[in-house]
Amino acid sequence: MPEGILCNRTPINTKEQLDAVLADKGGKQYYQEMEKLEVDVEKLQKTLQDTCKSRIRTWLEMCAHCGLCADSCFFYLANKKDPTQVPSYKIITTLGKIVEKNGVVDTAHMIKCMDTAWGKCTCCNRCGSFCPYGIDMGVMFSYLRGLCFSQGFVPWEMKIGSGMHRVFRAQMDVTPEDWVETCEWMAEEQQDEWPGLEIPVDKEGADIMYTVNAREPKHYPEDIAEAAILFHIAGENWTVPSLGWEQTSLTMFAGDWEGCKLQVQSVYDAIERLKPKRVIGTECGHAHRGTVIEGPYWVGREDGRPPAPYIHYVEWLAEALRTGKIKIDPAKKLKIPVTIQDSCNYIRNHGLKDITREIMSYIVEPGYFIEMYPNKEYNFCCGGGGGLNGIGRYRQWRNTGMKVKRDQIIATGAKLVIAPCHNCWDAIRDLEEVYELGIKWSFLKPIIIKMAVIPEHLRPQEEEEE
Amino acid sequence: MYNFITGPLLWITFAIFFIGLTVRVVLYIRGLDWRLDRVAYRVYPSLGIKGALSSIFHWLVPFGSHGWRAKPLYTIIFFIFHIGLVVTPLFLAGHAVILKERWGINWPTIPMLLADALTIGVMVTAVFIAIRRIGLPEVRIITTAYDYFLLVLTVLPFFSGFMAAHQFGDYVFWNYTHILSGMALLIAIPFTKLFHVVGYFLSRAQLGMDFGIKRAYKAKGGFAW
Repeated sequence: MPEGILCNRTPINTKEQLDAVLADKGGKQYYQEMEKLEVDVEKLQKTLQDTCKSRIRTWLEMCAHCGLCADSCFFYLANKKDPTQVPSYKIITTLGKIVEKNGVVDTAHMIKCMDTAWGKCTCCNRCGSFCPYGIDMGVMFSYLRGLCFSQGFVPWEMKIGSGMHRVFRAQMDVTPEDWVETCEWMAEEQQDEWPGLEIPVDKEGADIMYTVNAREPKHYPEDIAEAAILFHIAGENWTVPSLGWEQTSLTMFAGDWEGCKLQVQSVYDAIERLKPKRVIGTECGHAHRGTVIEGPYWVGREDGRPPAPYIHYVEWLAEALRTGKIKIDPAKKLKIPVTIQDSCNYIRNHGLKDITREIMSYIVEPGYFIEMYPNKEYNFCCGGGGGLNGIGRYRQWRNTGMKVKRDQIIATGAKLVIAPCHNCWDAIRDLEEVYELGIKWSFLKPIIIKMAVIPEHLRPQEEEEE
Repeated sequence: MYNFITGPLLWITFAIFFIGLTVRVVLYIRGLDWRLDRVAYRVYPSLGIKGALSSIFHWLVPFGSHGWRAKPLYTIIFFIFHIGLVVTPLFLAGHAVILKERWGINWPTIPMLLADALTIGVMVTAVFIAIRRIGLPEVRIITTAYDYFLLVLTVLPFFSGFMAAHQFGDYVFWNYTHILSGMALLIAIPFTKLFHVVGYFLSRAQLGMDFGIKRAYKAKGGFAW
């Protein structure tokens, strides 16, 4: 059964393998090898037997072919109601066929499955809330991704992402040393403006353990500084772990079930080691989904909850504003039309809709906050979720899909889109680049820092002497 | 012949129908897996039950869910079709009289006029459903011959029953057609996607538990279906 050198059924587990795949720019050779990658039917049948149980089998069997899911899918809408973008059609012709044929499918079919599971679905789960039977095609596509991954049919970037997690326990090549150094550097950088600001590493028994997205130490270290400043202003007793600091899970996007477990275990180990009262994750949607919502199940926690209360950044921020730990200068509230992007991963899939609106009520001048339509549970995906932002092969498909979000934003008339999610933030940045709406986009942290009242005792000494 | 059909054959039909559905329910529930489905079904019984009931209820009531409200015309057609399908055979005076004659059971009935209206409703909405399958590209692409077969199978007992009840054409022919097609429908239910007569409740309950226990337990009042 021939396998490629780069494209094969074996996940990346070493730095050497990772470098070899990374060196193949854009995955040219990788995708060529995929054309010849044979399906290990026996393995696929075994996987189906072990993992495809009554829920998914019933969904596939019972689908009434009513088409009510069509309009729920932003890909369908953005592609001028192309019927091949109907969620039901997409899943029946991919996973449905694999199950129907009990795994006896060929390479071409697996590539079709890959292109559909990553290029035509972001696993936003919106269709699931429009099906009378409650058939959640996002769940099924996420399952299909797992089947594809186990057979080696996974987009180049996702293979790398999974490998990064397996090698570095982070979605990017950030070592524990890099991470700790970045924290020290960021704390040092802030000393002039924020004397005494610390980013405590590995402090046991802190009130808060903070976890991030590896993009922050790698590309946006100021995000870590901003988090530190806000914890500093709020007077929180907090820490970051030197190991288990990475909250994201490209393994989840890649369908690398084993990798999902490895990654989230590293975070849970940090929780067990440092015993914080609770854990707070950064402004990221899928990190929350992976580590807080799905993660407990990956590692086999029967209560379905992480080892300590684990909340999203917006939950902490709403609490800090509500209790006055952080006070907003009323004169500095936002006085431009603002809207908020509801991240599928913690709004539709974790019910935090009211929390983000509570934050808006504190930071936006009345009358300037405009809801998107539809919103909350029923909001559309930003267009780049599920890992789609990062996959070159489907860039054009993604750009087309983003039209729905573009039109939603235009309809609000907002000049600023607050996107407390790395994926949404990226998608809206790219949306601006592609469609030039003339909007700004932002995480919450920089906005809050600009309008927070700085307590007297935290101000730099020099200023006080003047 | 008539005695055999309405005697042993009827009993066999009911046995297949009820045993078949019971087996489906048992297999479905046994096939749920908290780790694979990633829902801690057993740990949060109260969140689970609340989530399941809310999920079932909102979709059982016309315009009760966001999904139904998004498609008003379809919702009306859908509910006329399903209410007719369930209410007519269960409470038809012509059926109740058999119960009374054979076992002396006093079964509640609906007026004949209402039964006629419901039956016509089933037939007319079935035609709409078929037209919708042909007319809308997003439905056509997922429609198979099997879907039409099930639609005909479902409507035939109603059509033939209507013909027989009003003595249109050959009564004996329509009456036999009615009884046999009704049996065929009952037998088909456990073995086809018509098993949604119970599958609907199971599937909605499962997703309701998923959102109740895991994906929306932080939302006030649970997921807004």
